[in-house]
This record gives sequence, structure tokens and C-alpha cells, in this order.
Amino acid sequence: MSTSTPNARARRSPFGTATPSGDTTLTGLQRLASHTRYPLTPSRLVTATTPGTQRSASRYTPRARGVGAPATPYGLRARQQRAANTPGRDRRRSGRMQRETTFDILRNLGRALAPVSKPIRSSPQEKPEPIEEPVDEFERLDNEPEIERPRLSLPIQESEEEGEEASPEMRPPRMSLAFAEEDMDITYQSVEYPRDTSIRDRDRLSMMSRATGRISGDFDETRLESDGGDGTGIVGEDDEAEDTMMSGGDFDRGGETEDLGRFHFDLNFPSPAAPPLEDPTGGDMNDMEDFELSTAQLPQAPSDDDDVGGDFGLGLEFPPAASPSESPGIVGGGLRDEAIPAQGKQKKMSRHGIPVPNLPAGVVKKLATRFARSGAGSKAKINKATLAAIEQASSWYFEQASQDLAAYSKHAGRKTIDESDVVTLLKRQRHVNNSTTVFSLAQKHLPKELQQDMRLAMPP
Amino acid sequence: MAVQKLYPRGTVKRIVKAHSNRSVSKNADILIFLDYILFMQELMREASIRSRKSGEKNISANTVRKVTEVRCLRSI
Repeated sequence: MSTSTPNARARRSPFGTATPSGDTTLTGLQRLASHTRYPLTPSRLVTATTPGTQRSASRYTPRARGVGAPATPYGLRARQQRAANTPGRDRRRSGRMQRETTFDILRNLGRALAPVSKPIRSSPQEKPEPIEEPVDEFERLDNEPEIERPRLSLPIQESEEEGEEASPEMRPPRMSLAFAEEDMDITYQSVEYPRDTSIRDRDRLSMMSRATGRISGDFDETRLESDGGDGTGIVGEDDEAEDTMMSGGDFDRGGETEDLGRFHFDLNFPSPAAPPLEDPTGGDMNDMEDFELSTAQLPQAPSDDDDVGGDFGLGLEFPPAASPSESPGIVGGGLRDEAIPAQGKQKKMSRHGIPVPNLPAGVVKKLATRFARSGAGSKAKINKATLAAIEQASSWYFEQASQDLAAYSKHAGRKTIDESDVVTLLKRQRHVNNSTTVFSLAQKHLPKELQQDMRLAMPP
Repeated sequence: MAVQKLYPRGTVKRIVKAHSNRSVSKNADILIFLDYILFMQELMREASIRSRKSGEKNISANTVRKVTEVRCLRSI
């Protein structure tokens, strides 16, 4: 029956919460307290909003109001004293009990008889609810991306992890070690480091694979190393990651031939070749002759010795089983295999298909001993294996330097590699700087005849 | 520096030619060889440092390979 309209109730609700004292001091008179919580008609609400003593006064019913309001300062003081002496609100409440009017009674009755009032109060809330719902939807929409973020981040993390696992390009530990160990000029290394990694990796790939091919040239060593399982050989040094990298690199530059390292890759592809091979050669396989034959012609034969190779072959037996049968002698059956024997021998092929001569070992050894002596003391002996490693390194050096020089000359729009290109390369390597000129370097390292030729070619 | 025999200029030229697929001007190979000398100097220096660190007396093939590998990463 409540006299107030639902709207008024809704408006009043904040007021009710604003005076928590009424709630906290509830005693046995809960019902009354619940009533006193909203004792006002909407018209009285205006006065109710005023703070202070008026609020307490506003709780009185219209009749009681005249009585309760202190007319004189004496009355006010008396009230204050009474409030001080007694726990005021209880007192007041008890007083109100007595003062309960018909209005209050009626309201109590209405509360008891019409519990509907609360649903009524909620009904206006329901109407706003549909209005609020879109807001909720918006909030949900806003929340949704937050939910999606982890989804996005998860695959990224996974891919990162996979990348770390899969890509052998990233080798921070080694780099940091190298940097840490070199107490010399770090800038010299670090400046040149951020070159195009792809090119560098590719080159390194070719180097590594070529190295494998190289080592496989002398079969005894590879045999021993593979059997012994020690990582002395370059092949052995390369981790498994490196192997995968090599195979991956092969995908990229399919045009290039050579390098036995590729046979790892070949295993993946024409691996069916392996099983038929095993059958005919299986008995002889352990012999060195067979091994040599295989390395000379077929890249597969070494694979037979490796457990890994055998596994690959078994795995992919079926599909192209016919193709291997056609060529038991030359198994890989591709252009690569033709190039591989050429590389196995002394003559290597550059990426442009031009045979690359080797620098005579005597020159390399002389240089090496010269600098090794200056570094390691009076006597520096360089044995064969070391010399081979140095030769390998110098061949890599020439490959890299030639490509850089070609890039420089191409950038300059020339068809020939000029002296200026080499000077640029020297500058990039920080061999030539403000304090060091090409001529001083030449004077230090080159014989006089060469210096003269160089000076002729390069007007200062 | 010690008197040094001339290096095989033709060979160096051919190596660079083969790798770069470009012709090399008349005296550029001298500079290239000079660069190679510097490379060898650094290679041997690093190899000797590393071998000394690991306690070897002579430079072994392994140390050279390790140094070389680092160099490869660094792109010479």
C-alpha cells in the first residue's frame, strides 16, 4: 500500500543507505526499524535531504513533528542533555513507538499485506535492465579481447619456443662466449655482426656442408671419427641442430650442388634408395673399399654406415621404391650427385659453377707459421690436421671475401672488382682506419715488389 | 718484415673470380691478398690465444676449427 511510488522509493534508497545508523541500531523492533528507514512520503523527502538535526526530525510523522521540534533554546538544550544521558536513538525509537500514528500503522499494514512492494520496486529496475544489458554486452565485448589476448600470446610463445628449439640460427651462448673470451677490440666484431643474417647463415651453411664434404674426402678419418664417436671432425662438431640446419639450407639453395653434407638431405628424399642399396651392398658394407666407392659416387653409401641414415631409409621405403632400383650405382640420381664427386676431389666448384683452385699449401703454411710464431712463442709447429683446418678456413675466407667484393663492385656499377672495393672491405673490417692506411699495412706485410705494384694501381 | 716470396697471384685471382663471378682488376689481388694476410694473422692469433687458454702447447686443428667457426658466425 505504500504511499510512495516506486520511483520515489528508488530515489529514496540512497537516502536509506546514507543513514546506516538506523540499520545498525536495530534491536527487537526490526519491523519498525525497517519502516523508519523509509518513513517519508515523497513530499517530505525534500526536507529529508537536509543534513544534521533536521534529518532526525524528519523521521517524525507530521504530527509528531510539531511536538518533537524544539521550539526554544531550552527545549533544544534539554534534548541534547537527554541525548547525552541516554543512548539517543534507542530512546528516540522507543519514544516513537509511543508516538506511532495511524499513518505508520497503515503503512505497516501495507508492508505486511503487500509484499508486492518490493517487486514493484524492482519492476522499474527491470525496465532499465534492458537498457543496462546492452551496456553489459558492451562490457562483455570489451572484455572479450582481454580473453582473446592470452589466446594470441599463447601461440606466439609456442612458436617462439619452437623457433628456439628448431632454429639453430640462434646461438646466443656461443656468441656471448666468443665475445666474452675476446678481450680485444670488441667493436671490431660487433660492428660487423649485424649484417644480413640470412646471407651469413647461408654462407655458413655452405661452408659447413663443404667442410663435411671435405672431410669425407679422406675416408679413414671420417671412418674413425664416426666410429669412435668423438666430435673431433667438423661433422662431429656440428650438433644435431647443425645437421638439421644444413638440410634446411639445402632446401633454400637448391641450385647449388656439391657438398656431401647434403646427403643428409638426400636421405630424406630418395631415402627409398637406401633399402635396395643395403641389400646388394649389405655384405660388403663394412669394407673400406665399399665406403670409398660410395663416397666417390653415391652419397648414400656413408649413410648406410650411420644408424640415422638407415632409419631414414626404412621410414620412407615405400613411395618411390621404383626409382632407386633403376640406379643402384648412382643412387641419389640428381644433379647434386654429379657435382658431389667433383667436390670430393681437389677441384671445388664455386656457387657460380666455376672451378675454384686451392691456394697452395706452402703459402698457407708459411703464413700460418709466421703468425703462429709471433703469437705462441719461438717454436710453433703446425701439423697436418691444423694446416688442413687453416686451409679450410682460408677457403671460406676467400669465398666470403669474394662475395663481399662482388657486392661492392656491383653496388658501384662495375663489372670488375676494383682496388677501391678491396679498400672498402678493409675499411669495413676495421683494418683500415684513421691511423692505419692501406699503404702502411702493405709496408708491414707485403714484399716491396707488391707494394710498388699496389702503389701504381692506387694513386694516393 | 721478412722477405717473402711472391704468392701465386694468378691463383688468388682465379679464386676470387670463381667465387664472385666477376673479373678482378689488375692489381686488386694484391690488396685481397693483403686482406688475407690480415685474416690469417687474426686467425692465428685467436687460435694461439685459445690454445694457450686450454693449455695446449701447439695450435691444434680443433682450436683452429673453433676459432674458424666463430669467425664464420662473425662473417669474417
